[in-house]
Amino acid sequence: MKVEIEEKAGITVVRLAGEMNSGTVDIVQEKLLDLVEPGCRIALEMSGVTYISSVGLRTLLLLYREISQQDGYIVLCGLTEMVYDTMFITGFLEFFETYETCGEGQFVLAQK
Amino acid sequence: MDALRLPGRVESLAAIGTYIVQVAAEAGLGEQAAYGLRLAVDEIATNAVVHGYQEAGGSGELVVKAEQTADRLTVVLEDTSPPYDPRLTPPPDILDHEPVVRPSGGLGVYLARQGVDAYRYDFIDGTNRHTFMMNRTQ
Repeated sequence: MKVEIEEKAGITVVRLAGEMNSGTVDIVQEKLLDLVEPGCRIALEMSGVTYISSVGLRTLLLLYREISQQDGYIVLCGLTEMVYDTMFITGFLEFFETYETCGEGQFVLAQK
Repeated sequence: MDALRLPGRVESLAAIGTYIVQVAAEAGLGEQAAYGLRLAVDEIATNAVVHGYQEAGGSGELVVKAEQTADRLTVVLEDTSPPYDPRLTPPPDILDHEPVVRPSGGLGVYLARQGVDAYRYDFIDGTNRHTFMMNRTQ
């Protein structure tokens, strides 16, 4: 799985690509949790994520908790239909904000 | 398709995914159905490896076999870890808690059950047998 990290005007843009499953999730989780700091603003660009299983969802949940505890924000951008559906039926979209494009996500984060 | 026989380790799960994608394509399943089937088998196989073999301190194989009829694709996943019936796993607590306190268990089994048209569990001769069924005629 590919993880690209870019700082843009106080917002951390993270581009994930590949499959988020039990074989790949550990290293992704470590890189994502490393980015969490007080007041951080993270846009997770996921249009390249073609598959997510429950271990991937757990990583996102853990990330969400860490960020919330440090008064930061996270938005998810560009979810593919299958990933969106998986997050929808498991209730994850009840608390994650999602945007179709990374540009929209960054715009919203810039207001926070 | 020939059966796939692999060591019961996390590294085997990618190959199972590839196998499912292939048999789903051969059976002509739609994108959503193929994804759901792959997810279902992946979740149950992951549980077998992590909870069945690793946490119990045991080892064994994962065997996956697909069979297709005119109107159905059936995938059977077998492992020899301790008996585990996913149907008895309580559903995840999805909307009852704030995300910060929300427990993360049960998600995989829930996704597995949601992803397929029918699911069956048997424990036969020391083997967990998980049967996943998909309708080919939608």
